[in-house]
Formats: sequence, structure tokens, C-alpha cells
Amino acid sequence: MEVVDIRPVLAPTLSLVCAGLIFLTGQKAFWRRFWSLGAAVLKLAVVMSMLPGTINGTVYVFRLMDFTPGIGLGFRVDALGMFFAVVSSTLWIFTTIYAIGYMEPEHSKVRFFGFFALCVSTTVGIAFAENLLTLFLFYESLTIVTYPLVIHEETPEAFKAGRKYLTYTLIGGAFVLIGTVLTYQTAGTLTLSKPGILSLANGTQTLTILFVTLIAGFGVKAAIMPLHGWLPTAMAAPTPVSALLHAVAVVKAGAFGVLRVIYNVFGVELLQQLNLTMWLAWLAAFTILTASFIALFQDNFKRRLAYSTISQLSYIILGASLLTPMAATAAIAHIANQAFAKITMFFVAGAIQRKTGKTNIHELAGIGYRMPYTMGAFTVAALSFVGVPLFAGFVTKWYLSLGALEAGDWWFVLVMIASALLNAAYFLPIVYLAYFKAPPGTQLHVDEARPTLLIPIIMCALYVILLGTTAEVPGMPFSLARAAVRFVFGM
Amino acid sequence: MVSWPHWIIVAIIMPMAGAVLTPIVSRKNDKAAPVWALFIMSLTSLAALFLIVRVAQEGPFSYLVGGWARPYGIELHFDEFSASIGIICLIGWLALLFSYHYVAESIPKPRIPYYYTLVLLNLTGMIGFVMTGDLFNLYVFMEILSLSAYALVAVSGERVAEMAAFKYLVMGAVSSLIILFSIGLLYAVTGSLNMADISTRLAGIESRLPVMLALAGMAMALMVKAAIFPLHIWLPDAHAIAPSPVSAILSGLVVKTGVFGLLRVYQIFYGAGTYELAGLNTTLIWLGAISIIMGAFFAIFQEDIKMMLAYSTISNVGYIVMGLGLASQYGIIGATVHIFNHALIKATLFLGAGALMYKTGYRTLTDLRGVGKAMPLTSMAMSIGAISIVGIPPTAGFLCKWYIALGAFQAGQPAFGFALVFGALFIFIYYIRMVNSFYFQPPTHPEILEVGEAPVSMLFPVLLLAALCLVMGILGRIPLSFIEPAVTRMLGG
Repeated sequence: MEVVDIRPVLAPTLSLVCAGLIFLTGQKAFWRRFWSLGAAVLKLAVVMSMLPGTINGTVYVFRLMDFTPGIGLGFRVDALGMFFAVVSSTLWIFTTIYAIGYMEPEHSKVRFFGFFALCVSTTVGIAFAENLLTLFLFYESLTIVTYPLVIHEETPEAFKAGRKYLTYTLIGGAFVLIGTVLTYQTAGTLTLSKPGILSLANGTQTLTILFVTLIAGFGVKAAIMPLHGWLPTAMAAPTPVSALLHAVAVVKAGAFGVLRVIYNVFGVELLQQLNLTMWLAWLAAFTILTASFIALFQDNFKRRLAYSTISQLSYIILGASLLTPMAATAAIAHIANQAFAKITMFFVAGAIQRKTGKTNIHELAGIGYRMPYTMGAFTVAALSFVGVPLFAGFVTKWYLSLGALEAGDWWFVLVMIASALLNAAYFLPIVYLAYFKAPPGTQLHVDEARPTLLIPIIMCALYVILLGTTAEVPGMPFSLARAAVRFVFGM
Repeated sequence: MVSWPHWIIVAIIMPMAGAVLTPIVSRKNDKAAPVWALFIMSLTSLAALFLIVRVAQEGPFSYLVGGWARPYGIELHFDEFSASIGIICLIGWLALLFSYHYVAESIPKPRIPYYYTLVLLNLTGMIGFVMTGDLFNLYVFMEILSLSAYALVAVSGERVAEMAAFKYLVMGAVSSLIILFSIGLLYAVTGSLNMADISTRLAGIESRLPVMLALAGMAMALMVKAAIFPLHIWLPDAHAIAPSPVSAILSGLVVKTGVFGLLRVYQIFYGAGTYELAGLNTTLIWLGAISIIMGAFFAIFQEDIKMMLAYSTISNVGYIVMGLGLASQYGIIGATVHIFNHALIKATLFLGAGALMYKTGYRTLTDLRGVGKAMPLTSMAMSIGAISIVGIPPTAGFLCKWYIALGAFQAGQPAFGFALVFGALFIFIYYIRMVNSFYFQPPTHPEILEVGEAPVSMLFPVLLLAALCLVMGILGRIPLSFIEPAVTRMLGG
């Protein structure tokens, strides 16, 4: 059932207006914080108010205007988009609180918080895009508005990272544009409201080119190997930005785009006929393992997290490309599961850096005695990635393995297991160092980071447990993932 | 009001008479020249507005000068393409306003009234050029606008400016000569100078060689005017050295007359129906693609901000020419709308650069570092211009990219769709350098942080144009659906 409603537009607009207000009045710390937090809370309220309807199958639509004749700037809230929007708006609140604390001693704060708000505005725009052109519009805007955040430090290193980031993502954007044009030429429409708009098109060659173009385009932000090069370099950015880039906005925009291409542009049925997704699944499996291996050898805390992100993102791609309901559920749910766990880890890395100045893993010995709550949260996130039951990551692994079996590709279960071991191998040593390798005579001396940093960390860690234990409770994100899968597979 | 038939002749006579009268009006008081020019341009814009409303309501219409029937008299013909008069008046008006303070400092005082005369003449030439239905008349207006453009490049009187103007003059004069020769050929073969008339008569011509020669000559000469690679060499110096408001007019409008001329030539030959245009189309597509890439390539190495903008014009004309050459519905719509949108964007950038130079006295990217903090509004406008010219949605530049790319697929030439989209990335490289230097790099000259915004007469045009870059992106369907019937008619024969 489709309902015309203003709220799909309201959600991105709120952050947009708030960004404008930050640029205008942000010189005063109070207003900067007021607008950032105010808009975050308001937007979450707007998004959440649509949640019950979405779970029950109501689709909220709003067509803003005709952008070109026939193709409108349209917004549409379905289950998949809602899932992404809920995750990003929830995390935005935490990240905003964290950023307010973290950025205290930094320069150009008006610019930072202004573009931060713009970034979230575009992310929700991506989530609620009604057609591929609207999606592209926000996808490209996201690249532009994150650039000032990536080069925030204004060091030569930051500029280098910024250049690399732009090069990768804009080339990706160009592929998406080409793909969009080609889709329009082939299907005559760009809407994302159907499970597969290309199903009537014929011409295997065109469809293959189209699939590769679109996946390559979105795959850059989703950091599928070998398109991942920008991500570790972009670590030069301040920690809240890394958290945002890696957990919420940018990489998930890429993964979300891949999901839209597979489920809404091509459709499961057509892809099964074309048999195109198998190589994508293998590429994802390759990325999962290779990135994990590279992560093993990183001593810089944030770099290790970055490679872990690359590995984790490919879970989503793998899940999507298996084309079975279980795997699809896992792919969608992992958007949230990875986001909360990874943002916890980045927050921890940032808090440690701010408190002690340490950025390398070998320096962390005994940190658990000084920052026990922080490291406790890290442990929760690490266990989630390893896939221990009761934590969010387990849900993904479980459904992904089931999905692989459903598709008859049992060897992906082996990939899952190998990946779990590798995750354990690069995350648990950090936990071990922090608690058990303390220099002799270390006493428990709690000296945590300031509350604005600590509270978001603990909240996110708790959410990881919540996601892992209450997946089946109605109203949790998982039910949205279920609803999205029902739509995609026509169940 | 709207249906009064004589607006079309008013739109030509008004600026022409105004231009001639400028030195007389400002004889006693040299402040009078800009005010007079603005007044004249306002009246002309009013006439232009009525004309555009009329063409939107009634479709194309003709006006016989002095009542002499065609093919003997001069016919003015106003179709949807002629609605470009709107952008000519808009950019012309804003450039005149911008000149008020700018020119007072950069041009020797006794020359100032003549500067306004030349600008008005130049605008007259363009207004006539887009409205005439007569081929020889087209040539006359082209000469009016070209000659005034040569003089405007040299107007500052500096040595380099004279050199640039001379180079421009030589290239321009040769191409004009070729056009005149081609028109002569067509006249010899068809016995008519009226475009519509030539179009009908061409269908029955048996000796094709002189016709094809005329076509080739006109195409090549117009490509010189449009600065298509490798015929672009006059452009960068001329556009970079001219005073900034003139640069805006030259880059935004004058270059486009070359493309517009090509469009008219196409109209004639599509109308005739029986001519094989594939060769010309292929040439245009290839040269367009090469222009996009080469323009961007040269721009990357420019330190001088106006030089960079000038090379970027070559890339953008490449888009337009490629769209024309694709000869598909979407491609031509995209090309014609880009004539309009690029004028907006490039005027934003050149006027913005002019404001920066006026306040800081610097013109290279290194020298201008940190200017984003000193002149936030101008820098913001230029950033919008930069995003727009690269074609990031939802700005004006995006729609044309979208349409021309669609046109490439429609014409079965997907490779050029790729060339177009990736060429745009190339363009992004140097615009990001500009944005970096404005906002993110520490100032080379710390005193630059002290300068404030330019006076309102300069700031207003820049901000208005930047706003239009955004508005035209969001409301892009308006020009697109306006031009669509004309393109359909043109392709349908």
C-alpha cells in the first residue's frame, strides 16, 4: 500500500536546514551543538514515526518534482531503505555526541559540523531515493560533502588522502552515472519500486555490461577488492569522520547501492537466469579473506580497523549475491550489525588516542587497567565480529551460512569459518594485550575519557548485544530486514 | 503587448542605437556611460522577454524587415533556439553591472565610454545573430560581434592584451572570410540567401560538389569561432587577458555563436533532407571528445585562474559539439541546453574570478590561497560554479551531461558516453585544485585574509548567477521541454 507523505522528504531536509544553520550561527559553540543534536534527535523521531507503518508493509512516497521530463526527484520509504535510514540516524546521534567531545581542541569546527550534517542528510537521501537518478544524485553529493571532512587536518597527508578518496569515488560515480543512463536506455524507467525493472529487457551482453558497470560503480564505496584503495588512506581524517565513513555513511551507501542494483534494478529472478552473481560472490569471498590477512599485519589501530571494515563489508556483498532469502536477510541485517560494532571500535580507538596519544596496537599493553569501560566495549565489538552467539555478528554469520547452504554453495560456509578465525586472530590479541599483558605492578586506576566520548561507546556496545539477543523481537531492525526480503523474493 | 510584431526589430535597434549614442551621452559626465548602457540593456531585455513569451505561446514566427517579402527582403525568424536571446540579455546585463566598478580601475579613463559602446555592439551582434533568418545577415551580425570582441580583448591597452587580440583577429578574420565564401557558393547554387528558402531549394540541386564545399567551409570556419580543438589556439589568451566581465561575455556567449551557427547550418541541411551528414557528424563527435579531453588536460597545468577557466571553455564546447554530432534527439537537446547552462556557469566563474582579482590583486591559484575566508560569498559562488561545470547533480551542468550521455546511447555510440562522463572527471581535477586553494590551504599572502567582499555591483551578479546554476539544475525540465519541439521539428525535417 502506497501512501503519499511528506516525511520522506522531511528527514533529509531537516539535516540540510540544520547544516545551513550551523554554517550561519555555528561560530558560537552552543548553537553549533544545539543544531547538530537537535536535528539528529528530530530526524530520528521522523524516521522512527514511519517505522511501524513500514514494518506492516505501508510504503511512504513523495514525488518532489520533475528533475528532467519524466524522471522525478522522488522519495520512497520501503523496508530496505528504512533499515538503512534507521541505522544511520541512530548512529548519527551517537557520533554527534562523540564528535562534540572529540573535536573540542580542533580547528574549523563550523565547517566540520556543517559538512557532518550535510553528510547525514545525503545518506538519508540515498536510503529514501525513489529512483536510480535520485540515488545517484545523493550518492555523488555524498562524495562532495565528505571531502572537506577527509582533509580536515589540512596536512599534506590529509590532502593526499583526499585526492585518493576523490579519485576513487568519483570514478565510481562516473560508472554509476553510465549505468544509470544505460538502465534508462534499456528499461525506459529508473524506478526502484519494483523487484527488478530490467526483467523485460533482453540482450545478455548489454545486461552483463550494465551489471558490471553498476556494481563497479557502487563497489568503490563498498570497498570490494580491488576497488578498496581509498579506504585505508582515508584514515588520515579525524576519528569521528573515520567512524562515519567506515560504519555509517560512505561504505554503507556503496553496499546499499549494490543491494538496490541486485534486488531492485535487476531482480533476483533475472540474475538467477543470467548467472552473473557467482563471480561477485567469489570476489566478495576473496575480499573477506584477503583483507583479513592484511589486517593481521597492521600495527596502526585505525588501519587494522580499516582493513577489517573492507573484509566485513564484503559479507553484505556476498549475502546479496547468493540470491537466496536467508542470505539476503543476512546481507541486510549486517548493515546494522557491522555498523554498530565497527563504530564502537572506532570510538574506542579515538578515545584512546585522545586520552593517551597512543595510535599503535603494541602500545596498548595494560590499557584495560586504565580505561576498563572503553576496553570492555571493545571486547563486546570484537566478540561480535568473531561471531560469538548473543552478539550481533553471530546473527549475520548464522543466516549467511544458512543462505549459502540454501544456494547449495557449502564452500562459502568454510569462508565464514575461516573469516571468524581470522577476526579472532586480529581482534582478540588487542583484548589480550589490554588486560593480560600489563607491565608488572599495574594497578587498576580508572582514568577514562570524558563522558561525551565514553557514553556513545557504551551505548553502541550495548546496542551490539541488543541486536544479537533480540533479533526476533518485533520492531527491531531485523524485522525490517525480513520485510525487505519478503518484498524482494515476492513472498 | 506580447503580440506587438515589432519587438523583434526593437531588440536589435535598441542596443545598436544605444551603443552609438553612448559616447555622446557620457560626453560631460563619464559616470553616465554605465548607467546608460544598463538602461538600454534593460529595455532590450524587456523586448527579449516579450519575444520569448510569444514563441512559447505561438511557436516560431517571422518578421519581414521593411515589409519586403522573402527571398528579396531580410527576414528575421524567431524560433525556440532564438530564445537564447534571453541568456544573452541576462549575461550582458549582469556583465555591464559588474563592469561599473571593475572597469573604472582596469581601463584608462578616456576609453571607458568606448568600452560600453563595444559591449553593447557585441551584444547587438549576438542578438541579431540568433534571430536572423537570412544567411548574409547572419554574416553581418557575426562580423559585428567579432570585430567588437577583438577590440574588447585589447581594451585594457596592455602589451599582452594587444598580442592576444591580434591572434584572435587573425584567426577570426580568416574564418569569417571562409564563411563569406561559403555563403557565396550557396547563393550561386541556389540563388537565395534566405535560410528557409535555401533549405527547400537545396533538395533539388543536382551538382552536389559546391554545396558540400560550402558545408565544409562553413563547418570549419564555425569551428574556429567555437574554438574546437585544434582550432582553439586563439581562445585561452584572449579570454584570460580580457577584462573579467568581457571574459564572461566571450566565454559564456561569443564562443557559443560558433556552435549556434553550426546549429543553423544543420537546420538548413536537415531541412533539405537529401544530404548525407554522417561525415560531418562523425567529425564533430570526435573533435568534441578530443576537445573535452585536451581542454581539461591543458587546464590542469594552468596556475592562472582565468587561464584555467578559458581552457575549461574548450572542454565544454566539446560537450556541445559532441551532442550536436550525435544527431539524436537527446544529444541535440542536451547540446542546446548546455549552450544556455554553460553560459550561466562560466559567467559565474569569470565574474567571480574578476571579483577576486579586483579585491586581492592576485590571479594565480597559489597567490589566492585562503581567499575563501576573506571573501566567503564569492568563493562559495565559485565553488557552486565549479561543482556545476563538472556536472555533479543537482546543478545545471549535470542535466546536459545526462542528456548528451543518453544521446550517445540513443545514437548507438556508447563509447562517447563513456568519454563524456570520464572527461568530466578530468575536469574535476583542476576545479578541486581551485577549491583546495580557496578553502583548505594556508594563505601564501597573509594579508589576503584582510580583504572583504567586492562591492554590491560585483557581488550581486556573481551570487545571482550561482543561484541560477542551482535553480537551473533543479528546474532543468523547463528549458529541456521548451527546446524539445524545436529539436523534434529539426530532426523530423
